[in-house]
Amino acid sequence: VGIVKCSPDRGLLVSESMLLALEELIQVCCAEDEGVPVVLVCGPKNTGKSTFNRYLINLLLNRLPSVEYMECDIGQTEFTPPGCVSLSNVTEPILGPPFTHQQTPRKMVYYGQTSCEQDTERYLDVVKYVFSSYKKEVPLVINTMGWVKGEGLLLLIDIIRLLSPSHIVQMDVYDWKAMAPLTPEYVHLTPGLYTKGKQQAKCKQMGMSGVGSWKSSEGEEDASAPEYKLLYVHPEFPRAGVAVHSGILRDMSILGYLGQLQSPDIGAVLPLHSLVPYQVPFNAVALRVIHTDVAPTNIMYAVNASWVGLCRIPDEIRCQTDGPVLLTQTPVCDCLGFGIVRGVEMEKKLYHVLTPVPPENLRLVNCLLLGNIAVPNCVFVGQQGVEGEIPYVTSDYNYSILGSGKLKKKKHFKRREYAFECDYT
Amino acid sequence: MPLAVDCTAELIRCKVLDSSGRLKSHELILSYGLALVRFVNLITERKQKMVSIPLRQLAREVDIPIWVVDLRHELTHGKLPRLALCRKGCDVVLEWLRKTYWSRQLGNNLCEESEDEEEEQEGVEANAELDNDAWEIRTPQHEACQKHKEFHEKVRDVLISYKNEQFRVMQTVQSVSKSRELWSDSSSEVDWILAQIKDLMQENRETVAEALLSDGFLIPKMDCLKMLNIKYEANKEVWQFKIPQTFYCFWQPLLTGLLSRSFTQILIEKMFMELKECSDSSELRPQFLINWISEMLTGIAKVNAGKKRQHCNKQVSTKELFLHKVPLQWIRLTDNCLEAPCWATPHLLQLILTIMRPRLPRSSRKNLLYLASVYTEGGGPLSSPGLSSDCSEQPIYTIESLQWRARQENQVKNQGQTVEKQEDVLERDDGVEEVEEEEEEMVTETNPLEGLAHSGNVVAIAEKRAALQGSAWQITADEVRWKDFPLGKLPGQTDDPDGLMLDNYSMMSLLDQPVRDEWKSPNTNSAELNVPVTGGLLWTQNDFHKIKSGLQLF
Repeated sequence: VGIVKCSPDRGLLVSESMLLALEELIQVCCAEDEGVPVVLVCGPKNTGKSTFNRYLINLLLNRLPSVEYMECDIGQTEFTPPGCVSLSNVTEPILGPPFTHQQTPRKMVYYGQTSCEQDTERYLDVVKYVFSSYKKEVPLVINTMGWVKGEGLLLLIDIIRLLSPSHIVQMDVYDWKAMAPLTPEYVHLTPGLYTKGKQQAKCKQMGMSGVGSWKSSEGEEDASAPEYKLLYVHPEFPRAGVAVHSGILRDMSILGYLGQLQSPDIGAVLPLHSLVPYQVPFNAVALRVIHTDVAPTNIMYAVNASWVGLCRIPDEIRCQTDGPVLLTQTPVCDCLGFGIVRGVEMEKKLYHVLTPVPPENLRLVNCLLLGNIAVPNCVFVGQQGVEGEIPYVTSDYNYSILGSGKLKKKKHFKRREYAFECDYT
Repeated sequence: MPLAVDCTAELIRCKVLDSSGRLKSHELILSYGLALVRFVNLITERKQKMVSIPLRQLAREVDIPIWVVDLRHELTHGKLPRLALCRKGCDVVLEWLRKTYWSRQLGNNLCEESEDEEEEQEGVEANAELDNDAWEIRTPQHEACQKHKEFHEKVRDVLISYKNEQFRVMQTVQSVSKSRELWSDSSSEVDWILAQIKDLMQENRETVAEALLSDGFLIPKMDCLKMLNIKYEANKEVWQFKIPQTFYCFWQPLLTGLLSRSFTQILIEKMFMELKECSDSSELRPQFLINWISEMLTGIAKVNAGKKRQHCNKQVSTKELFLHKVPLQWIRLTDNCLEAPCWATPHLLQLILTIMRPRLPRSSRKNLLYLASVYTEGGGPLSSPGLSSDCSEQPIYTIESLQWRARQENQVKNQGQTVEKQEDVLERDDGVEEVEEEEEEMVTETNPLEGLAHSGNVVAIAEKRAALQGSAWQITADEVRWKDFPLGKLPGQTDDPDGLMLDNYSMMSLLDQPVRDEWKSPNTNSAELNVPVTGGLLWTQNDFHKIKSGLQLF
C-alpha cells in the first residue's frame, strides 16, 4: 500500500503509426457524409489490439454519443465472460481491464470455448448471426482473435469477407513476419477456410475437381472485390508479442460477472453458495454439452457445479418423459447471461441455478449450454462454513508422484545420432 | 487433468468396451493399442532430458515391465499384436497405475476424490516437484542467524552503557534543564562509547541502525520518558514534528558522532521502514519515528543550505545533529517516504522535496504532494475521526471514504429504524482478494450494513418472485440454509456416486438453424434448412436427410 514510482515504460505507449491510424479513423467516424465506418482490428497475440480498441473507442466517445463494439475474440472478451461472440453498445469510456467493466451486450452468443479450432464452421455461423443484428447507424469496432497462423489466417479472411469492413487495422510487431499485409487485393485472391478467392474460381473453370462441398462451386466467386482501407500499426511498447496470463484475465472476467450477484450496497460480501438460487424443472430447458461428447445418462455429472450459458432457442421444448431434454446439436442462439448450476435435484427434477440475470429475462431462458469454460478454482476452494467434503475440491495432492502432472506438450528433443530412436538392440 | 487420471480413464474405457462385447477383436486391439502407446509415451515423457534417452531405460527407472515397452514398439512400428497380449498389457498397466499413483494419492486423503471426467479443471498449481532438501534444517543460515543475534546484543550493550552514562550525568546535577547543557559538553566517557560504536559500525551498519530504533533507545519506553520528565500525550499534534528538547539533548551527542553520510541514509531509510510497519500512528513509536525523521531532515536542510554559523551568538548551542553537509540519495528516500503513508507523509515529503538536490521539476513536486495528501488525508484508516467532516465534501478517492459515504447514506435512510449491530462477521471475497493487487484487508468491524443487506435481500427475493410469475423459472419457497451446502451439493443429496445418473431423458433436435447461404454452394446436398411458415410439406427430402445425419445415437 502506498504510492510507488513506476518506470516510464509502464505507461501507455502510443507509437506514431498508432497515432496516425487513430487520427484517420476518428476523422472518418466523425464525417457525416460517407456512411458509417466499420473498423476491423486484427493482428497476432499481445500486440495491443485491445488497448488500441479501448483507446479508439474512448476517443470516439468524445465526439459521438455511442459506438458499437463487436467481440469476435472468444478468448479475451471485453465486456462479457469468455467464450462469447457479442455486440455491445458502448456509451461510457473504457478505463480498465475487462473485469472492471462487465456489461450486458445487445446481442450475445455463447460459443462455449476459448478457441474455435475445433469447430470453425459454427464459429463463423455465430459471427454471422451476431453481426446480423448490427444496424448501420453508429460506427462499429470489431475485435478479432490473435490466431493468425495457418487456419487462423484463412478464418480471418473469411471473417473479412463476411463483415465487409470499411477499414482494417493490422497490427504487427515484426514488420509483416507474422502475417502478410491484408491488402484488399490479397484478400480478394486468397482463399479463406470456407470461402474462395477469385483465383480459385478461375481454376474451377478450367475443370479441376473441387474437394469438399463448400469449396466446389461451379464458376462462381464468393465475394466481389472487397473495398477497404488498410491501416498498418506498429506497436512499440516493451514486451510486445510476449504472452500474458490470459487464463487469469478470463477467470477475473468471470468473477467480475459473478460480482453482479452481490447486493449493490456496500455491505458484506456474501459467499456464493449462501445465495438463494433459481430453480427450473428439467423439462422446461434443453441441455447441450458443446465441446465434447457425453453419454446422456451421465450428463448430470457434467452439468453439476458448472458454468452454463443461459440461452433462448426459438423452438418450444418438446419432451417425451419428465427427464431432462438433451439437444442433438449445438444451436446458434441468443445467450441472455450465465450462471452456475448450484445443484441438480433428481427427485424433484429441478436444476438450481445461481445467476445475476434479471428475472424478466430469465423467464425467456429455455436452453442451458455447457462449454469448456470453467468456474474459477478460487470459487470452489474458497467456500467456507461448510462441513464435510466439498465436491470437486481435493486436498493433500502430491505432485511428486509420477503421473500427477498435467498433460504438457514438450518441445521436440534432439534425437541421438543413430537412425532409430527406439532401441532394439 | 493429471496424466495418470487420463491414462487410467482411457484404459478403463477399453476394458469396458471389451466386456460389452460390441466391438470385434481388431477394433479392440486398436483401442487398447492407442491407450497403451499413449500411456508409455506420456509417463516417460516427463523424465526425458535434453537428448532423448532410450525408452527401455526410462521404463526401468519407473518400474514398468520391459515387455510393456516392447508392446508399445510393436504397436507403433511392427505388426499389431494379439488381443490377449493387449489385454494383459492393459491389466498390468492398470495395476501399475493403481500402485504408483492412485494408492499413493488417495493414501493422502481420507475420502475419495470425485472424478471429473467431463469437467475440464485447469491445473490448480504449477507442477512443482517437492524438493527433499527443503525439509532439512539449513545449517549455514542457522549459523548466520546466531551471529547476527550476538552482534545485535553487543550493540545494545554499548547503547545501554550510553544511556546509563547520560542518566548518571543527570543525577549529578539533579535538574533536567541543567543536564541538557552538561550532555552537550564532550566527556571522555561519551567519547569512549562513541569509539566503540564506530567500531561496531564498521562491521555492520544496518544492525546498529536496527538497534538504535528498537524500543528503549531512540524510541523511548514510558519509564524513560518519566525519568526525563517528559509528558507524553497520544495526540500527535502536540509536538509539532519535533522531538522534546530533553530527549533530543539526551541523544544528540551520540548521534552527532554517528551520523556520517552513509549512516544517515541507512538510519532514515530504516526509520521509514519501521514507520511502514506501524499500524496506528498515534502511538508512541510512530510518533517518535516521525519526529526524528523530521528533526533529522530539518537539520540536514540547515546544514546543506550552508548558513554561516553565528559565532557571536552564544545562545546558538552546538547541539546540531549535523556538522557537515549531507548529500543523500534523495530519490530513494522519496520512495521510502511514499511507501510508508501516514498522516505525516505530506509534511515529511515536503521536507524531502525541499532539501533534495537536484530538485524534481516543480510540477512533479506539486503533483506528488497533492497525491500524498489526497491519499493520506482523504479518510484513510490512519486518519483521526475528526477529519470525517471533510470527507463529505471531498470527492471519493479511497475505499474507506467510499464505505464511509455509503454508511452516511444508509444512516440517513434508517432514521428511526433500530438496526441491530451484528457481531463480527467473517467477510469472504470469492477469491477476488487474491488477485487484486492493492486490496487492503476488509475491516471486520461491527457492520450495521450487514443487517441491512439481509432485509434488503428479503425484499429483493419477493420482487424476483413477482417477476417470475407464471414462468418455469421460480425461486424455491422452502426455507433452505443454502450456506451449509457447497456448490454442487443440495440438501438431501447423498454421497452415492450414482446419485446423478439419469434413468430417462429425451432427445430433441432443432428445426431452425442459421442459413448458410453466404457460402453460395449450389450443391444441393448441403442445402439450408428452410422451415416454411405456412402449411404444406414441413421438410424437403434434403432437410430430412440432414436431420437424420445430425442425430447422434448412443
